Amino acid sequence: MKLNHVYKTFYPDSPKEVKALTDINLMFEKGEFTTLSGESGSGKTTLLNIIGGLDSATSGQIFLDDEEISAYSEEKMAKLRLHDIGFIFQAYNLIHVLTVRENIGFIMKLLKFDDQEIDARVLELASILQIEDLLDKLPGEISGGQQQRVAVARAVASRPKLILADEPTANLDSKNSERLMNMLRTLNEKEHVTVIFASHDKYVLEQSKRIIVLDDGVVIEDR
Amino acid sequence: MYKIAQHLAWLSLWRRKTRSLMVIMMIALSLSGLLGLQGLYDGMITHLINTTIRSDSGEISLYAKEYRLNKSLDHILNPVSHIEEKLLRVKGIKSYSIRLQQEGLIATAHKSLGATLKGISLESEQTFGQFDTFTTKGTYSFGEKNKGALIGSALAKKLNLEIGSRVIFTAQDVNNEINSISFRISGILKTGNPALDENSVFVSMEKMSQFLNLKDSATQIALRVEDTEQTEKIQKELRKSLENMEVLRWDELYPLLIQMRDIMEIFNLASYAIVFIVAALGIFGVMLVSVLERMREFSIMLAIGTPYKIVRDQIILEASLLGFIGFMAGAFLGWISLIYMSTAGIDLRSFEAGLEMYGYSAIMYADIHLYYFLQAFFAVFFATLLSVIWPLRILKKIKPIQVIQGKML
Repeated sequence: MKLNHVYKTFYPDSPKEVKALTDINLMFEKGEFTTLSGESGSGKTTLLNIIGGLDSATSGQIFLDDEEISAYSEEKMAKLRLHDIGFIFQAYNLIHVLTVRENIGFIMKLLKFDDQEIDARVLELASILQIEDLLDKLPGEISGGQQQRVAVARAVASRPKLILADEPTANLDSKNSERLMNMLRTLNEKEHVTVIFASHDKYVLEQSKRIIVLDDGVVIEDR
Repeated sequence: MYKIAQHLAWLSLWRRKTRSLMVIMMIALSLSGLLGLQGLYDGMITHLINTTIRSDSGEISLYAKEYRLNKSLDHILNPVSHIEEKLLRVKGIKSYSIRLQQEGLIATAHKSLGATLKGISLESEQTFGQFDTFTTKGTYSFGEKNKGALIGSALAKKLNLEIGSRVIFTAQDVNNEINSISFRISGILKTGNPALDENSVFVSMEKMSQFLNLKDSATQIALRVEDTEQTEKIQKELRKSLENMEVLRWDELYPLLIQMRDIMEIFNLASYAIVFIVAALGIFGVMLVSVLERMREFSIMLAIGTPYKIVRDQIILEASLLGFIGFMAGAFLGWISLIYMSTAGIDLRSFEAGLEMYGYSAIMYADIHLYYFLQAFFAVFFATLLSVIWPLRILKKIKPIQVIQGKML
């Protein structure tokens, strides 16, 4: 993935104008395990949302496999998100009327995997994330840490090319944070899934192979 | 994809039972009220028309030409036996009643009033319109030697008459001689037809013929038909065979009833529109809130790549299912209330005086028609669809991530 001169301005040409990102030029190789870091308001979540097509850049170009995805229509972008990108949000964001099992298999269902394959994958992920006992429960019946593990399982279930995780450990204790990072690391190493975090959690930063530091919407460090 | 939307819609309804029940109850209650109201309004006017047909006009009435403009005995139907022969040859006539009437003065020892004396056959009127069911006091008979009379309830009240009271009726006979005849009140009738209740005294046809010095004569022959759909056809046939007579349908004789029915239809439509708008706003409000409160959930679905079409279909299906179940429950409740109101009726005797002034019965009975339910079905269907258009437009416009991050809504 390549970002060329990406700018993002909220409320342009108004007194409330905020320059969230300024001239971002970045390249992500397949299989990276990268964290976007920085203080609150530095623009890391905005950048992550733009990479994932959840938000659009004010100007600049974004390429995925040499195709300019920044020019995609909303419909095409939704298709890309469905097929190639897995999201892990800070607030879990599960679908409350679906059970844990249905939540994990939801994207696979949308991608028309057959039921047997979905069941097998759900069980495999539930076993890795130690949530086998929760499969028939609704999100409202399980703890925050358990919900985040379900969100991870949902994001990785269809084996997307890219996983984007926004502050995934913010609501987890150290034990659950460790478990989640191990899981994502294993996926990254075994299945060469590209993982990009937006986080300022020290533990996440320690685990990352690459760290991009943002300050006031500008990349100030890339190591 | 549609299957997923179906599954999500069903789960959403089933796993949010309280919300679903609330919407269903709201639709059901407003719909049953709507159905009840419509049935009652229609029942009121149907009752009025029915009592008029039963007590007076039949579906068709025959008069001598000019009689209705100039109610003199110079314009009477005669000989009635010949007319009866012709009537027997017309197919589709169920029964008929021969009446002879004359306007005059009714007097008691204390008071006198203008009134109409009507000669009738109790048996014929019974077959014609179950006349005995109008009897509120006394008996449905003319007493011994036909010396009794039946009187309209409002007229009896005005003259302060009770069963057994004696009255004297004075009128001109066919020779323009003033004659008087005395009767004892044997029964009081309440037909619901103000013209009869306020103005009429019924006596036997034989007494009336003697009183007016007439034989084989009538002022009106009212007919009931076997199939009301054939009324116009029978009227045409009668006009051909009875050229020198006026052959008029009930709606030509009582144009006011048709006007009342039209007014009632407009009133019905207006009430229906008001209740529909209230119900539609209710459904709209609940559906809108139920979609808006779940905007985050739908945004999450869109953010992770769920096609908009699935979310849209889910919302429409959910609303349609709620609308359909609400309609079924409402139609059932409405049907029960209509059945009750059409058999037991609604007792409004405390407003009797006011209602009777307009010819309405103090006990109101509702009508039931299949089209009420069809109308209601389409009303709920459109209200439900309307209720999801706006939320869907909002959903189409928003950026899911803004909702997820709490920057919107």
